[in-house]
Amino acid sequence: MSLARRRLAPLGLVLLVAAASSVAPAPPPGYVAETLPNGLRVSIVPDSRMPIVATLVWYRVGSANEEPRTRGFAHLFEHLMFGGTPAHPRRAVWDHHERFGGDVNAYTSFDETVYVSEIPPPGNVGVLELEADRMVHLSLGEENLANEKRIVTEELRVGTENDPMSRLFTVALKRVLGEHPYALTPAGTEEDIAAATLDRAREFYGRHYRPRNAHVVVVGPVDAAETLERVRASFGPLPSDGETPPDVPEVYGWAYPDLVELRDDLPPVEIAVMGFPLPAPAGPDREAIEVLREILSGGAVDPFEDELVRKRRRALAAGAETELLRRGGLIAFWSACLPYRRRDTAFRHLEETRQVLGRFEWLGPDRLASAKRKLVREDDRRVYSAEAVASDIGRAAWWEGDEARAFDRGERLEAVTLEDVQDAYRRYVLGAKPVRIWVRPERVPLAVRLFGWLYPLLGGF
Amino acid sequence: MRSAGFLLLVSASTVAAAPASALEEWTIDGGTVGLLVEDHRVPLVVLRIEFAAGSWSPWVEAYDAGAAFEIQLHDPGGDLRRRADLLAADVELAAGDLASGLSVSCRKDDLEAAADLVRMILANRDFDRAELKRRRKGKSLSWEASLKEPRFVLTQAAARSLFGPDDPRRRPYERPTLPGTDPKTLAAARDALVRIPGRIVGFAGDVTLAEAERLARDLLPPVSPEAIGDLAPRLGPVAQASSRPRDITVRLPRLTQVFFAYGRESVGWLDPDYAASRIADHVLGGNFNSRLMVALRQEEGDTYGAAVVDSGGLEPGPYALASFTKTGNADAMERRLREVLARFHREGITEEERALAAGNVVGRRAFLRQSPEDLLATAMRERRHGLPYGFFDRKAEEAASLSLEEVNAFVRRFYDPERFTMFALRPE
Repeated sequence: MSLARRRLAPLGLVLLVAAASSVAPAPPPGYVAETLPNGLRVSIVPDSRMPIVATLVWYRVGSANEEPRTRGFAHLFEHLMFGGTPAHPRRAVWDHHERFGGDVNAYTSFDETVYVSEIPPPGNVGVLELEADRMVHLSLGEENLANEKRIVTEELRVGTENDPMSRLFTVALKRVLGEHPYALTPAGTEEDIAAATLDRAREFYGRHYRPRNAHVVVVGPVDAAETLERVRASFGPLPSDGETPPDVPEVYGWAYPDLVELRDDLPPVEIAVMGFPLPAPAGPDREAIEVLREILSGGAVDPFEDELVRKRRRALAAGAETELLRRGGLIAFWSACLPYRRRDTAFRHLEETRQVLGRFEWLGPDRLASAKRKLVREDDRRVYSAEAVASDIGRAAWWEGDEARAFDRGERLEAVTLEDVQDAYRRYVLGAKPVRIWVRPERVPLAVRLFGWLYPLLGGF
Repeated sequence: MRSAGFLLLVSASTVAAAPASALEEWTIDGGTVGLLVEDHRVPLVVLRIEFAAGSWSPWVEAYDAGAAFEIQLHDPGGDLRRRADLLAADVELAAGDLASGLSVSCRKDDLEAAADLVRMILANRDFDRAELKRRRKGKSLSWEASLKEPRFVLTQAAARSLFGPDDPRRRPYERPTLPGTDPKTLAAARDALVRIPGRIVGFAGDVTLAEAERLARDLLPPVSPEAIGDLAPRLGPVAQASSRPRDITVRLPRLTQVFFAYGRESVGWLDPDYAASRIADHVLGGNFNSRLMVALRQEEGDTYGAAVVDSGGLEPGPYALASFTKTGNADAMERRLREVLARFHREGITEEERALAAGNVVGRRAFLRQSPEDLLATAMRERRHGLPYGFFDRKAEEAASLSLEEVNAFVRRFYDPERFTMFALRPE
């Protein structure tokens, strides 16, 4: 994306903006992409200046695609995929990366499971063959499944049960999203993991771990033509069955509760959150929302915090956070106060601040321009990392339906106007009904409960 | 004017595709050097300035100079922060252990304005008193939150066992003293800190040597000729095995797992054994096929993670074989953890393990050469610690060249279970 933007830069900003809506996305030099007859999508970006080759395999199945009988399987498979094949024993993929100083890992999200190899050349030779082999020839046995179930359960315990903030997040997600597939975190539950059987695991593997449901992205110091030939040779003979799961419902437009109250073992602060659903990234407001997010939460001045904490002194801390998934996201405005304030008062302060921001005193042409420049700068920076470029391509293809959108983001950001950002705020924040989340600590010291209200009067805020 | 300079090629001999990047060093004044890693791939520049005192310094602690350094972007009206935003620049201020760093990331065409911003930040003496108070409260609440985090509580137990009460390495694990909120006092401390000789002005990215030299020339206030007393960190000796309990247990409510750290003091970077420790640590707990991972995760499914954690540096620090498991399995896990170490000490590593680890410690240096900022960070780290440039690359090469016998001689010296303490965090 940044390479395309740089090529256009000499033409000047005016021409760039004027052309933004009509310019065809310009991919990086040497970029190659094709879909094999068996349905596998492959994208290759050669860049001889990078010291690392990143090979990412995106499987278009995440926790949101699980059915009740396969709950927790997306993440469980992230583990099982390292279990070896008849041709490559369990430790082969790790040993290969070890030998060359590489890293190999994977992650499971709500929308996808991604296998990430980063390795200095010539270690990348061999990675494609290992990935193709485990795509369809994984050794799935009772012993391996039982072992990985134990490991995943320990991961679940350390990542959620024994971490107060993660524990809170898991409960909040379920209470806010109800029956939406995003309501359950990819980690699953202990009950889900315990219920996993080998038959169901094989069925899940056969449906989702197939070329038709995968995207291989290779970025780094490689020869594109040679790499493409290797992809064809390794993945081409694989079967063309399997399926991409149906889309999950959009977050925007889902029915949410008005108020969710939570308590946990937290420090003595109370947190009020107003969350507003956002549309899927494939929608037309993507860039306006990106700019809005940058201005509200990406800079040194956070307008929401500035208004609520610094000017009005109604909270100890505050801010705006945005989280985006493939089928939508959330922008949340939060405040943290010592635990003496009434819940309704805390939300009234949030609401008043939301209205004040609706006057757009924080949004002028200079701030808009600088926010766009910052986002483009962050994109530029990604050319240093093969893994970052490969992630962008995989995400653009899966989340936005067109990998070319990984290459023209700069142009699309440049085209965002003040009116676009204001419209986004009006549509998704000012004119929307929030879901409110109220978080309290389980225990509050008596002195804080009785005298905490003196804190702001004594100049604490 | 460039009064002293040399060219050091930071090249990856094992990474054929990576371009060599030049590191330039020059003298700016009697107390400041400049560093540059030039890279014109994209129009971005990182400017990072390090001042020669950090939170480990007794003087910094006594005068709240770390808090003063970190607040200086906050004037009461927010003008400096707004200016940073309009520049599309990221400004970061942090008092580290040994140095305090100010870094600005910006586009090439904003570099002049970014340098002006740096001058304004360092000249700001009107710190936002309300923000200072909020930070005090935030620090206090963060401390309470950290006491609920299993890994923090376990590391706290290890730090208390290894370091004396006044050792700065123990300080992050003790209740923090809250800094003062008088802007004038803090501004005076900041002014003194940024004038201490030993400063580094580093540039990385789309900037030439001539541009960097010009920008660095009047970027900082002059160094102070007056020495500040009590500046050097006072690191005490690490408690030896004979003076430590063999088992230490701490507790937290609500835990569903038991966390272990089987620990001792680490090997310092200048220790003759440091290179060998890179190989041995990697085999014991530095990868997915490590002895710990195979024994605790892959064979038994006892845990999600098992690794060697080395928190040391130039001086020895905490070192541990760390893992966790469900409460009902804690005794079995502890037994296996002890067995892994005992066997490792008794039998050493194999030639196959040595060869894999050797490839890894050299090959993975490529990850630190991806961006000019990565290269600058390594060079500044080496200079900050008084190490020659390329120190860590050479240590990796040295480690890879060690024979099996040399590594195993180190294993026999270092991994004696008698020198380790078992720290355990269990539910209340």
